[in-house]
Amino acid sequence: MAKVFIYPATSLVLSDMVERWGHEALGAATSIRERIQTPSLDSPPLQMTPEDPKKGLKYAAVEVPCGVRGRMSIYGPLIEEADAAIIINDADLSFGCMGCARTNELVMYMVRQQEGLPVLDIKYPYSEEEGTAFVTQIKEFLTGLGGENNE
Amino acid sequence: MSRDQYVPTYVGTVTKYVFIDSPDVTPQTLAIRAYEISDGLMIKETCFGLQVTGAPENVKKLITELRKVDPAHIFVKDRGFPPGDTRRCRANLGGARPGYYGHEFESGLFRYVSHGLEELEKNTTPEFPRFGKKKLDEGKLPLEKLVEIIRNEEA
Amino acid sequence: MSEQPVRVAQLSCGPEHSGVQKEIYDAAEAVNAEMFFPDVTLADIRRSYDAFGLEARSGDLKLAIARAMALVEGNVEADAVFIATCFRCAEAAIVRNELRRYIHEHSDLPVVSYSFTERTTSGTLLTRMEALTTIARRRALLAREKQKGTTMGIDSGSATTKAVIMRNNEIIGTGWMPTTEVINSANGVIEAALKEAGLEMGDIEAIGTTGYGRHLIGDKIGADLIQEELTVNSKGAVYLADRQHGEATVIDIGGMDNKAISVQDGIPGTFTMGGICAGASGRFLEMTAKRIGVDITELGPIAMKGISKTVPMNSYCIVFGTQSLVNALAEGNSKEDVAAAACRSVAEQVFEQQLQEVDIKEPVIMVGGTSLIEGLVHEMGDLLQTDILVPHHSQYIGSVGSALLASGFIEEK
Repeated sequence: MAKVFIYPATSLVLSDMVERWGHEALGAATSIRERIQTPSLDSPPLQMTPEDPKKGLKYAAVEVPCGVRGRMSIYGPLIEEADAAIIINDADLSFGCMGCARTNELVMYMVRQQEGLPVLDIKYPYSEEEGTAFVTQIKEFLTGLGGENNE
Repeated sequence: MSRDQYVPTYVGTVTKYVFIDSPDVTPQTLAIRAYEISDGLMIKETCFGLQVTGAPENVKKLITELRKVDPAHIFVKDRGFPPGDTRRCRANLGGARPGYYGHEFESGLFRYVSHGLEELEKNTTPEFPRFGKKKLDEGKLPLEKLVEIIRNEEA
Repeated sequence: MSEQPVRVAQLSCGPEHSGVQKEIYDAAEAVNAEMFFPDVTLADIRRSYDAFGLEARSGDLKLAIARAMALVEGNVEADAVFIATCFRCAEAAIVRNELRRYIHEHSDLPVVSYSFTERTTSGTLLTRMEALTTIARRRALLAREKQKGTTMGIDSGSATTKAVIMRNNEIIGTGWMPTTEVINSANGVIEAALKEAGLEMGDIEAIGTTGYGRHLIGDKIGADLIQEELTVNSKGAVYLADRQHGEATVIDIGGMDNKAISVQDGIPGTFTMGGICAGASGRFLEMTAKRIGVDITELGPIAMKGISKTVPMNSYCIVFGTQSLVNALAEGNSKEDVAAAACRSVAEQVFEQQLQEVDIKEPVIMVGGTSLIEGLVHEMGDLLQTDILVPHHSQYIGSVGSALLASGFIEEK
């Protein structure tokens, strides 16, 4: 089983595809769950405290807005932990954790900077033909990662 | 103002959204199946399907069973919050939580993905175009082509 | 509090991921307001984004645009709007500013916009949130145009404490002193104002307090109105300048922070408060006066005799500002030129950091103690290309506004 970072990290279809074929999807839910299941200072809604943007300093300098650094504290550790990544390149309608374009640029760059990390680049399907391409490419990619397979 | 301590609930559990977008199976049918095999898991019915919460291995087992109901039309997503959490609830926020719009967008693409899954099941593996990383000049007219068009116009 | 909470619509990008959302909730709760997120659909986001025409790339900013349009089009009801984005984000700053302007121009909703860092606390947000809810909740009170009966207003500022006694729409007593111990300073100015008015405390029918020490003093003397300085000062400004109808812009360069308020018929529409550093405040002018060895009251006339552009000075930060002040004097520049340059620098900072967040509508009214420094008023007018109004008693603006608004409570007694 491989740990696959998904972009957008909030993607429903990617979360499904990765787990459908027996791997673990690393997405926003992974990090947010960790925060909301850990005792800390009360900081709704995401239980992200001012400490998170400070942790984000590992990934971006202090002059980078706190919202970017806070989000990077969600994604940086996931990318470092990942065995592979799938990127949907035309994800323009992402909000919340993925709602900041600057963070998203940095996340994608960081994924590509990870030495030896297999990355699949795809786009959202807008026809049946593209749907087939979408699913087949992901399946091929995930199969290539080896490990347990549910099918 | 000093911040209060936060005491988490549902520690050690995972929550999964189960979306169903099927011509044959309704969310209700799926819920009935889920209750049959729930094995103590928390199941919450929603307009799009279910939310399932419990120990990771039990949730995994349930999801595997549920997928069998209609493999190409059931989609499962990981969720950070337990169901009905007031911090994410529309009734408390006034509007939808940001992640809702992502679901709304992607669920509009289910039919194409379902089609792909069905094709895959048939094992036909037809030829298809492959998409790579978005290039800066993607879709733009190559310079040579432009020159050719201008020459043709002038001729 | 039995009053209905004021419903404040939040348009934002980043607070949830910066640990700031809780601070926003706390500030709102402290003034009996509740934050909510206007409900829109994905179709609304697509439509609004296309219709608004600003090509933001960030999803949350697209969402903010859609939510703003839902408010303006009346699809979602709100009492006020709070726009918050990350400090130092250029994309968000553009969207924040344009949304603030759009809502201000197309609705009656009071708006405040703010750029936060992870260090932003509910305390910082409180005055802004209080002003926002006051405007939403107390429109009737803010519509008061004449002072009635005998009332007192006390303004406990960071630098000075002021008191004013008014009777039948006239100022009959004033008191002024530097703020040291908050209550002692207040007692001092109250005594002075009563003496000048020839009255005793028992003659006062209603009292209003404002400024940093408003709660402490207000609770101590049982004030009828305890109100933040944004609404009080803008009300006082248009009242004293006799511009209670139509548009106006109020600028108050304070001892610690500055306010810029866009006013319509005496009611604030949009406002900003703050400043990067005390370098952009009256504090820097106080230091300048000390350095050139004059009283602060003499700084204005001296500055008027100097030429501001001959001395380079940048008070973006008070430490660097002081450095350029020291350098300028060491290089042998005249104290007139240095004083003028200091005024210019403070005016520039306010212009660059704050006036960009409100729309400047004439007349521009300057109030607060610094409005008496004519060199500063001159430089501000020069930057804004307009003649600036400084009303009489402008240094007592908070006290006058408080006394005026407090008279609304006499009938209730």
